[in-house]
Amino acid sequence: MEDNLNIVGKRVVRSDSLAKVTGRARYTADLKMPNMLVAKVLRSPHPHAKILAIDLDGARKVPGVKAAISGFDGSGIKWGVFRYTQDHAMLPTDKVRYIGEDVAAVAAVDEETALEALSRIRVDYEPLPSVFDPLEAMREGAPIIHEQYKNNINIHVHIDVGDVDKAMESAFLVREDTFKAAGEAYAMMEPYAVVASFQNGFLDLWMPNAGPHVRAKALANLLKMPLNKVRVRHINSGGAFGGRSEVAPADLVASLLSIKADRPVKLVLSREENATSSRQIHDMSATIKTAMSKDGTIVAKDLRAIYDGGAYSSTGPIATSVPFYVYEECYRFPNIRYNGYRIITNKGIRGMYGCHGRAFLAGNEAQMDLMAKELGLDPVEIRLKNGLRAGEMTATKSRITSCGLQETIETTARKTDFQKRWAKPQKLEGIGMGCVAIMCGFPMGFRSGSSCYLKINDDGYVTLVTGVVDNGQGNESMVIQAASEILGVPMEDINLVNADTEITNLDPGAYSQAAAFVSTNAVKIACEKARKQIVAIAAEKLAVSETDIALKNRLVYSVANPEKKMPIAWVVREAFARAEPVVATGTFFPDIDLEREWISRPWGQMAGTFSYATSVAEIAVDSETGMITMPRFTAAHDCGRAINPMAVEGQIEGSVQQAGVAAITEGNLWDGGHLLNPDLLEYKVPLACDMPEIDAIIVESGDPVGPFGAKEGGIAIRMNAYSAVACALTNATGVLFKEMPLTPDKVLEMVEKATEEKG
Amino acid sequence: MKKRIQFTVNGHAVAVKAESHQMLLEVLRDTLHLTGTKYGCGEGECGACTVLVDGASVDSCLYPAFEIEGRKVTTIEGLMGARNQLHTLQKSFVENGGIQCGYCTPGMIMSAKALLDETPHPGADEIRRGISGNLCRCTGYVQIIESIAKAAEKEQGNE
Repeated sequence: MEDNLNIVGKRVVRSDSLAKVTGRARYTADLKMPNMLVAKVLRSPHPHAKILAIDLDGARKVPGVKAAISGFDGSGIKWGVFRYTQDHAMLPTDKVRYIGEDVAAVAAVDEETALEALSRIRVDYEPLPSVFDPLEAMREGAPIIHEQYKNNINIHVHIDVGDVDKAMESAFLVREDTFKAAGEAYAMMEPYAVVASFQNGFLDLWMPNAGPHVRAKALANLLKMPLNKVRVRHINSGGAFGGRSEVAPADLVASLLSIKADRPVKLVLSREENATSSRQIHDMSATIKTAMSKDGTIVAKDLRAIYDGGAYSSTGPIATSVPFYVYEECYRFPNIRYNGYRIITNKGIRGMYGCHGRAFLAGNEAQMDLMAKELGLDPVEIRLKNGLRAGEMTATKSRITSCGLQETIETTARKTDFQKRWAKPQKLEGIGMGCVAIMCGFPMGFRSGSSCYLKINDDGYVTLVTGVVDNGQGNESMVIQAASEILGVPMEDINLVNADTEITNLDPGAYSQAAAFVSTNAVKIACEKARKQIVAIAAEKLAVSETDIALKNRLVYSVANPEKKMPIAWVVREAFARAEPVVATGTFFPDIDLEREWISRPWGQMAGTFSYATSVAEIAVDSETGMITMPRFTAAHDCGRAINPMAVEGQIEGSVQQAGVAAITEGNLWDGGHLLNPDLLEYKVPLACDMPEIDAIIVESGDPVGPFGAKEGGIAIRMNAYSAVACALTNATGVLFKEMPLTPDKVLEMVEKATEEKG
Repeated sequence: MKKRIQFTVNGHAVAVKAESHQMLLEVLRDTLHLTGTKYGCGEGECGACTVLVDGASVDSCLYPAFEIEGRKVTTIEGLMGARNQLHTLQKSFVENGGIQCGYCTPGMIMSAKALLDETPHPGADEIRRGISGNLCRCTGYVQIIESIAKAAEKEQGNE
């Protein structure tokens, strides 16, 4: 790892915090433009129905209405992230497939007028039989929701490594269990909003999003416009967590309305619309069969996961795969089979989530603990024995370059006195451990890399241009901090221009955990090139060798003789005079196997590197009420190197809330196609008073390719915190959970079962 | 029904026309362009719209505009002192990383202000309870609680 760093690794104030603390940070709903209209969407009341006719005339006649549209005003093109998932028209013309689906929309001078106009739209539906349970949807004779998906099977990921059946036969211990989990709500604090402004053939768009380039590409296709005329602009985002990654129907709605009305249009979703009609999270079940040798080595896994995908594909192939991969990137599996099915049902569209796959991951971890116990091992021993190490390959042929898994296990175990407490749990108290790895960047074809452009102005201040996106995790501040380190200027001297598709180059965005490893690497490379230019001129001017030059505090100076120095701004001016201004481009493309495909070729290098983490939950169960209390949570994250430890700790703590405490409180409730808790009163986002004491531990394995050694920091805890809670509950009760969230009713069942088993 | 209402916002007297169904949040955001106060749920569940009315924290999304007649409203925009000096709480949130996506931040700070005005030296549990009407989806609240506790310490030092 690079040492002697001036600012990287320091707990610096984030560059975005001043605007956010004064109320000056702008979010989409805050935007106001001359002549801007208010948009409202008419939504489907049916879970599944044929659209016979849509009549917008009544709406258009309302004074103050400037545009009314339905899918018949669109291009008829269906969007899909993959060629084989192009099933989403955003505004349907054939049939509606979930309650809350966008059907028609109006733009009017004010909200009251828009609502009045909505009430005058006539839609003739012919209701169709609907299906809400993925297992029922897979049966012969079930209503078919999309003609192209036989038995409503949208995606089937099949991975088979080694000889699973043979290894199962000869194993010492085999166990099979099934786990379920309700889908969660993203519940980002900012309800979805879009501003679209079409002028002179250019469409400008603002919306909370995790990847402006992917968004612009989808809209360019849907609107049949070139990419340089669809400009997704920078705006603050009030949380994403995976739910702002993909183009949303609201984007197309606002765009079409603005094009029709020839005026800017603002569409702000209500809290309920955000829950029913933006993105939801997959409900899922996982059947896990595991075989171990007598010494606790995992010899085979046979895994089957079923994801309730809702009405459309969304990022289906990725969502169906990721829980499997984050697991195989963590442990050694000589023989492993995975069958992941994503099933179409008449519910809202499900996307990727920062905590995606909890039935699968917590199920695997909790089952492993019971099997270990049977073999006389504890959770720490079994994880250390089966955990991957640097230099090893995963089952699907990804090489691990840096790995702090062992250190995260050992550190959390030591700090919680884990082994002793696990071995002798007090009655209905438990301690549990969850581990996981995560890829720093998914393969996204040519969009897997990032480019950065920078210029240094003649006053020495820096303009940095990159596609990096910040949904609150601190990515903007992170790249500014990295640039500050290399260029020797304070963070406040750097102006970041980012997340704008007109100006910036392709970047994965705040998606696939790529910002630290991929985007920051591109920034680092650009800054190093600019620095090299500065060093060459300064060495000449100061009459010292280039190796003797350092940059700090806006100065360039000789290390051997610090009296020899000059402001960086002078060097920059000299560069202008030589007609070689200090400008640089840096591009980073991770070492991934571009032939890899989620379904047709699920092997090869998945990502440039992987981060690792271990969570430990301590819980107590009330045998009367079934309530779980969680006094303490310990989480260690190998993020390679923490560029800003304060930001990484914030990510860890947020993950404990969103995955750990959420394992007890969070889950969507359904009655057929009706979401029963689309609000924040019935959907239980943990409050400050629900939180445990958290010990957030940073482990720095120093990735050889990561910028300053850095990898992703935060999501790994989001994908194992629930496992720690589930394992703690197994430790407390002696039995496995069946379904998340671990609400009192389910916990009481477990307590009763444990009492029966003890007999 | 439309009515002219007069009240004070961040020390300035204002007069606005409001409809009987309008809430304070709309008046602040749409009429007075004070967009620092956020809409999160419109039902008093999340606290993103928290402002102070005569010093008490309220959910402005549930506070009828007509009720504001003659009262004193403080929003996040009114927290800064002379010459744009950050309030101790704002400074503390910045320094202690009490901010991620920032959407809950204005409401969170206003609730914290109401808490510290009432209880200048709160314990950790009092802080947790004091901000239990404000949801944050990003931080796990740890750095927020720290920010409030350190602001309270600093205020104590200034006394």
